[in-house]
Amino acid sequence: MTVGILNPAGALGLAAVAVLVALYLYDRRRRVIPVATLFLWKQVPARPLDRRRFRPDALFLAQLLLLLALVAGSLRPYVERAAARAPAGRLVLVLDVSASMQVREAGETRFDAARRRARALVDALPPGDEAMLVTAADRAHVVLGWTADRDAVLDRLTALAPLDTPTRLGAALEVALGEARARPGTRIAAFTDLPRDASGVPADALAAVDYVQIGRTDDNLAIAGVVVDHPPFGPLADVTVTVLVKNYGHAARSAVLEASIEGEPWMRRPLVLGARASEPVLLTGPRRAGVVTVRLVVDDALAVDNRALAWIAPADPLDLLVVTDSREVGTAFERIGHAVTGGHVEVVNRARYEEEPLAGRRAAVFDGFAPPSAMNALYVAPPSGSRICPGGGVADEASVVDWEVEHPAVSGLEGLQGLGLARVRRLGTPAWGASVVRAAARDGDFPLLVVGEVDGRRVACLGATLGPSLASSDGLPLLLLTLGTLRWLSEHDGARVLAVETGVPSAADVAAVAPAPGLRVAGDPPVVVAERAGLHRLADAIVLANLFDDRESDVGREGDRVWPASARPPVPSDTSGRREVDWWLYLAAAALLALEWLVWLRQEPV
Amino acid sequence: MRLPGARAASPTLPEASLATTLASFRGLVLRVRGAMGDRLGERRFPGRPQPAGIELEAYAAYAPGDDLRHLDWNAVGRLDALLVRRFTAEREVLVHLLVDCSASMAVPARDGKLVAARELAMALAFVALAGSDAVRVTLLGGDVPARETPVHRHGWRQGQPGSSVVRLAEFLATAEARGTLALGAALEDHARRHPRPGAALVISDFMTDPAELERGVLALRARGYGVVLLHVIGAGELEPAREFRHGVLRDVESGATHPIALTRAALERYAALLAGHLAALEALATRAEATYARMSTASTVGGFVTGELARAGVVRRR
Repeated sequence: MTVGILNPAGALGLAAVAVLVALYLYDRRRRVIPVATLFLWKQVPARPLDRRRFRPDALFLAQLLLLLALVAGSLRPYVERAAARAPAGRLVLVLDVSASMQVREAGETRFDAARRRARALVDALPPGDEAMLVTAADRAHVVLGWTADRDAVLDRLTALAPLDTPTRLGAALEVALGEARARPGTRIAAFTDLPRDASGVPADALAAVDYVQIGRTDDNLAIAGVVVDHPPFGPLADVTVTVLVKNYGHAARSAVLEASIEGEPWMRRPLVLGARASEPVLLTGPRRAGVVTVRLVVDDALAVDNRALAWIAPADPLDLLVVTDSREVGTAFERIGHAVTGGHVEVVNRARYEEEPLAGRRAAVFDGFAPPSAMNALYVAPPSGSRICPGGGVADEASVVDWEVEHPAVSGLEGLQGLGLARVRRLGTPAWGASVVRAAARDGDFPLLVVGEVDGRRVACLGATLGPSLASSDGLPLLLLTLGTLRWLSEHDGARVLAVETGVPSAADVAAVAPAPGLRVAGDPPVVVAERAGLHRLADAIVLANLFDDRESDVGREGDRVWPASARPPVPSDTSGRREVDWWLYLAAAALLALEWLVWLRQEPV
Repeated sequence: MRLPGARAASPTLPEASLATTLASFRGLVLRVRGAMGDRLGERRFPGRPQPAGIELEAYAAYAPGDDLRHLDWNAVGRLDALLVRRFTAEREVLVHLLVDCSASMAVPARDGKLVAARELAMALAFVALAGSDAVRVTLLGGDVPARETPVHRHGWRQGQPGSSVVRLAEFLATAEARGTLALGAALEDHARRHPRPGAALVISDFMTDPAELERGVLALRARGYGVVLLHVIGAGELEPAREFRHGVLRDVESGATHPIALTRAALERYAALLAGHLAALEALATRAEATYARMSTASTVGGFVTGELARAGVVRRR
């Protein structure tokens, strides 16, 4: 329980005590009182008064108490219960644990420096003060809630390590500011290598934050991107890998780029990059498919972006059965088959197929009907009432409005927005699959391409009608969409590979599994977020995680700087447990007034 | 004049206001024990038969020198004795209003003893004049000769205060409290200067030694005055704690001082002394066949006249 006052100015009323004493002393002065005669008074014993000695009597004490009660009441004192009392102090530590905090300079990493300063703050906390620990990486994470256990805070600090992800410092600061708003009086200390103006939080909000920026060096070369170009159904020799190397320093640097496939050296290329320069490196002629590891051999400040992984899928030849009654469509596919090295396209009509269902191809295309198939199949313009490709109705003058860029069937396609279709089949979304391309007509949007798996086979339904222009330049977007879908249908049943960037959520085409180290998997359908760069295994899939983030790799800073908080959050004003007692004092004053009157009546007059 | 219930009034009232103020005293007459003038008047004094008069009161044996006109010849015929008629005495009573104007009448200041004394004197003068008595007002000043008015008569004319009342009011308004006064000696001097009998109404705070006062009272009585001692006492004298709690007391007349602190014992002692003093005054009055009445300044003159003085028989209804 604590006691306080709300009106300190009321203490000025204590001057009335001095006035009271002065009045008493004045009253005790040597006064001359004229009387009519002394012949009676002379018979009363004389009793001179000692005016220099102050002898407070009961009346004076009663008046003094009355006065003090009034003054105390005017101070508006209150009593606050301990339960409602805010803790003596609260501290939120916000630590940047993004990839750039791994930069090593002056014998330690930036994160080590930040942790050392945070530890000093925790050590300085008075007993009973509470602390909270929030990390900022690709997300804000409260790694330790409010606790007064200083050892627990220090242990948690010790266990922290920077991740390989970009920074979202603003989210972490908002978490801390939210706590400060909910618990006024809370201090916030942020430790990061981001400049204050890049924190993502308005300057006025940052006024309540002790902002500590760490870091200086800009010595960093990084692999800023890796692109694998594999023409559909092309041979392995046609695969190229483009590696973008950037020098983020303000001085020229030389390095060696090494590439290997499944551990087998592939290429080694010396590089010299000028200040703030970038250079694409083209790697050609891989000798095998598999995981490509690209590594920069250089001694720079940040190592995590000196390595990148990519995937070269095994070459899948075009081996296709086309069932169509359209001669033009059949001819178009035959021309495509001739254009692809090693490609093989067999075209039959519907009657022929129904007479003897053919099999043994990697994929089949059914144009205008949707029979059951033992092969991976693409159903083009399936009829209404189809069980495999549900839907109904026809839409005219439709155009593509959206597609899932991350799905392998359409990845890399950039021109779908220009795909206009005169007449399309309105598809539904079956239970076995998902819509990866959506089209819209006057009366609403609908799936245009649906892909999924049925009984272990890959199935795709395409609402568009293929025509004779498929193999011409006019039908290029539709051709690309068709080939992309066929490539996905023809993929080798090998390892499923997911290439992601660290800290970036990506749809994981896997069943729900326990998260692997360095990965976070959540949601339905599952989404994977890589916290560590490198190769991860997630169930039967391979996750290749790379750090491709300019802001993280561009590590140059102006040196250590500190922005102390210029505006502290207000002191807790919670009065729920506060009880003002001034009226009790006024009541006491009233009682004392009555007592003073009684004392005055009964007092031996002097 | 302080009306019943009023706190204060000035004796210098205009005639119209004076009429209103004094109206409450109409119908009252003074009756002072032992006071009878030697001048014929309208006041009858039963029990004091005299040879001449209007109202037959008694018979007496003839003595040489009696007026033969008053022999009752019927009694001579029936009883064979010489009896003469005696008549009820009819005299004018000269009322002397003696007001103490010494310095002691000014303290305690807020009690206004002198004001109360002047009001009381004015009220009694009016009552006397209304009862066909003659009035003389004497201000017994300290250190200065007494000032007095001529004898006034006929105070009320045609329902309005007469010029006598107004002049008396103006005279009383000039009274000031100052100087030292030996009241007993002042009364003796007054008795010497006015030897003809009458009624002496002495208005004072009587803050003097009763023995000294008694000399004056006896001197008046010796000259046939009926004496009424009207004691105007301040509320602060009855309850000194209202005035002070400690200090140096200074006698306003003698200048003597006496330090005092009003302890409970001192208050009790003072109260006992005051009671003794008042009892002594009453005893003095009894011995001198005078009348004693006491008015606190906390009360009103009207209430005192119609209450205390009526009970003492000093005033009564006509």
